Amino acid sequence: MPPIQVWTIDDFRLDPSRPLYEQLVEQMRAKIARGELEPGARLPSVREAAAALRVNPTTIMKTYQELERLGLIVTHRGQGTFVTDAAAAIRDSRRQLARAAVAQLEETARSIGLTLAEIIALAQEEE
Amino acid sequence: MSNIAKPTQEGSAAKAPAIRCRDVGMTLKKKSILANVTFEVEAGSLTGLLGPNGAGKSTLMRILTGLVPPESGTVELFGAPAGPERLGVLSFLPDRGQLPPYLTAGEWLQLAAGLYPDWSRAAERDLSGKLGVDPAQRIGAMSRGEEARLQLLTCLSRQAPLTVLDEPFTGVDLVSRERIASAVVGEMADGERTFLIATHDIREMEQLFDRIVLVGDGTIRGSHLVEDLRRSGRSVESCYREVFA
Repeated sequence: MPPIQVWTIDDFRLDPSRPLYEQLVEQMRAKIARGELEPGARLPSVREAAAALRVNPTTIMKTYQELERLGLIVTHRGQGTFVTDAAAAIRDSRRQLARAAVAQLEETARSIGLTLAEIIALAQEEE
Repeated sequence: MSNIAKPTQEGSAAKAPAIRCRDVGMTLKKKSILANVTFEVEAGSLTGLLGPNGAGKSTLMRILTGLVPPESGTVELFGAPAGPERLGVLSFLPDRGQLPPYLTAGEWLQLAAGLYPDWSRAAERDLSGKLGVDPAQRIGAMSRGEEARLQLLTCLSRQAPLTVLDEPFTGVDLVSRERIASAVVGEMADGERTFLIATHDIREMEQLFDRIVLVGDGTIRGSHLVEDLRRSGRSVESCYREVFA
């Protein structure tokens, strides 16, 4: 069984004026996408994670529920919570993150009258 | 659901709020200390009672714990009136509480274990490690932070369903604050315990609160679910500033 990832408060950056679980979901999705949290890695229990990050246990519960809904983590009764080892689920999640990033860039491009290809070309143009 | 909650710690009483405070008022030497104080603390939640020094938080907490009867209004704990006979359901850390300075931490814990019927030796051992309490150290030789950690250990080693902490961070160093916050989180994770924590210093606790109740000049100035604040782009700190700045 892979070792439990023990988090510290420095592993996450939390803005106190946004819902905390949303930020934890975003940051854990990114950790899974870039392989920092490996497929099959065991996650800390709700109690351990909440105490380590000094957040309300409800925040961790909601984070895990949302990641489970996204198919990125699985809970095995009596064994704990693990990052999925289904490559397809991780790939889906990376694709969604990529699409969201591109959509945002397209919006910026449109706001200055450019297409996606044009804004990239312009940004890479030598002075 | 029946609206008659039994004054037990489990079962139907779990549905009643841990604290229900209605129209509580208090005057001292003809000066109003508290007026029309009404709020609830959900069972299983961690609620912050926030307000500047002199807002009436300590008086309110002594009333909630049943140590002082209110002049007007009522307080219920898990659906039954607060009072000396209900002291068993709550574990109270008073502001500026003092432990006997001539005892070591270990001797004090031994004494406390005999004093409280709901003392858990297992919780005491577990929390002694987490809070870094040295049983051989004399209380009189402790720093403010070390004594605060021992006081919290005393509160949390009891299995009372409601824990009320009055200014647990005053004069406590950063590392002790962090250990205290982590220990509180660890204890609430099973959802069986309810915490009410009064503080005018919100930094270490802001991410822990489910709800904040704001007290100023002896009245309730607001009660918010913290997640609702964040959904509208506000933090506990910005809300506190709006009310008290």
